[in-house]
Amino acid sequence: MKALPPPSIRARLTLALLASSVLWIIAVAAAVWLTVHDEVDELLDDTLLAAAEGLRGPLSQLPAIGMAGSAESPETSASGRFAWQVVDHLAESGAQVVAASALAPAVPLRPVASGGFSDSDAWRVFGIPLTDGRRWLYVAQTHAERQEALAETALSAALATLAITLLAQVWLQAQIRHELRPLQRLAEHLADGDPEDPGAALGPAERRELQPVHRAIAELTRRLALRLERERAFTGHAAHSLRTPLAGIDAQLAVALRESPASLQPRLQRVRTAARRLHRVVSALLALFRSSAALHPQELDVADLIPRLAIEGLAFELPDHRMLTADADLLAAALLNLFDNSLRHGATTIHLSLPGSNILRVHDNGTGVSEGERERLQNALRGQVDTAGGGLGLLLVDLIARAHGGSLQLPAVEHGFAAELHLAARQPAA
Amino acid sequence: MRLLLIEDDDILGEGLRDFLAVDGHRVDWCRTLQQVAAHQGEPYDALLVDWQLPDGSGLDWLRGRRRRGDATPALMLTARDLLDDRIRGLDSGADDYLVKPFAPEELAARLRAVSRRIAGSADTRRRFGEVEVDLVARAVRVSGQRVELTSREWAILEALLLRPGRIVSKADLERLVLGFAAEWASNAVEVHVAALRRKLGRAMVETVRGIGYRLASGQ
Repeated sequence: MKALPPPSIRARLTLALLASSVLWIIAVAAAVWLTVHDEVDELLDDTLLAAAEGLRGPLSQLPAIGMAGSAESPETSASGRFAWQVVDHLAESGAQVVAASALAPAVPLRPVASGGFSDSDAWRVFGIPLTDGRRWLYVAQTHAERQEALAETALSAALATLAITLLAQVWLQAQIRHELRPLQRLAEHLADGDPEDPGAALGPAERRELQPVHRAIAELTRRLALRLERERAFTGHAAHSLRTPLAGIDAQLAVALRESPASLQPRLQRVRTAARRLHRVVSALLALFRSSAALHPQELDVADLIPRLAIEGLAFELPDHRMLTADADLLAAALLNLFDNSLRHGATTIHLSLPGSNILRVHDNGTGVSEGERERLQNALRGQVDTAGGGLGLLLVDLIARAHGGSLQLPAVEHGFAAELHLAARQPAA
Repeated sequence: MRLLLIEDDDILGEGLRDFLAVDGHRVDWCRTLQQVAAHQGEPYDALLVDWQLPDGSGLDWLRGRRRRGDATPALMLTARDLLDDRIRGLDSGADDYLVKPFAPEELAARLRAVSRRIAGSADTRRRFGEVEVDLVARAVRVSGQRVELTSREWAILEALLLRPGRIVSKADLERLVLGFAAEWASNAVEVHVAALRRKLGRAMVETVRGIGYRLASGQ
């Protein structure tokens, strides 16, 4: 099952910003609503009050009942904003509208004379007396109009907040990208870095928050370099410890072959062959161990490798095109092991070919293996487990191919045994 | 050839000494640099030096020898096979570099190559008038007829061949032919030189009175 990619800092920050922006807009709108509600109410009441004071003078001159409408109406200055009524409150006939603006209702805004602010179903009314307590001026505004004014104010505030928030979003997005860039640069630096060269310092951290990361990487690099150094020293010791006795065995066998009777010579020769095979395996192991840290791929001609391997008893058929990109020492070690396998399986001829880009196919004319055995070996290689029966050789060859970013494939063939070294295309070392 | 082998591994040292001895070389084998000090001033045709020794670096020892003007051909025998190591070895004065494990046959072949270089000719055969000497086959012919030499006669001839035009003192010749700490009769060299002259002609080996011996000019 394919693992999900880890969450992105940028995506998470963007999401958090969006969520906070939405909450911010709602909060601002609510605050504006609450604040503006009272303030606008107060402002509108002040307007009613001011309008009432303004109308009071002109409307005080209105004649008695029955003469309404003859006075010059002052409503032009406040039409559309609010309505007004001049109401006479008579003991005998009740409240009677003496004069009114066009928007005012036909019935008195207040049935009983009273001053100050009051609310009816549809109106907000402010009343002040005009004369002798009988005649009152009522200035009123509909609740709907007041709500509309309130809504317009709140909406304007909310829209302004939204616009500012959106602009802030764009700016913050750009800022996030900008602030994440040092991380990207750090990743690129690390990707290009040489683990064997702790001197290739990262340079000063571009952000304070990256300083611990820089310190951790520097410490990790130092430890890695130390470990590589130790491993290299170990390889040197291992090489000395393994190679010298092998050379001693070979020298002693060479002397024994000269000094021993003819009847013993074939046996000694077999011992010497086995010792040389051991030498090849050791060489491959050491080369692999040493190269695990740094591969040195180069353009090379396969034909140049064959004489270096000093394999006896095999004839080679080489293709016209023989150029590969690989670590020469590792490829030589891999071929040594493959050829050694071929020899042990009775091969006399090796056919080399390059069936694909950076793929080397080694096909021998030995006894080969059965289809079931071939599949078992291939599965064992795929699982990186002991190839039991296939020998250490195939596992080593596979490890070498993997060190190159590829793998060892064992294709089905009609005769003999074939192995394909898939070496991922790597750039030759500069 | 008289060889100084410096190798701390008993099995390898003994194997190489015996293998090279069968090839007709005289091998002084030292396991440590301390033992090598006892051979100070001894003449050798070639040095076989292990890099890592129990009491120091064979490479440093060789470098010191080169600094003192010693030009004896030297082969490094080492398990260190990295390119950097090979370059370091050759730059420190080694004439050749052999990575362990190696076949002793290859070492013998490289020694033959060294002897050809010392003798100043790519050809393994040298001619001195009617006398033809094959360094690889260890064979001598006079007027086309094979002449058998004893191992010591051959050793004297080879020591002189490897020092063309140079006078080799009687003492050096004794040590080159017999090896370190050997007891010879005081006139042994004269006896073997006389035998050589008898077999190859009087002009083959020239006596420089009071100094030593020199080979006649060859082709």
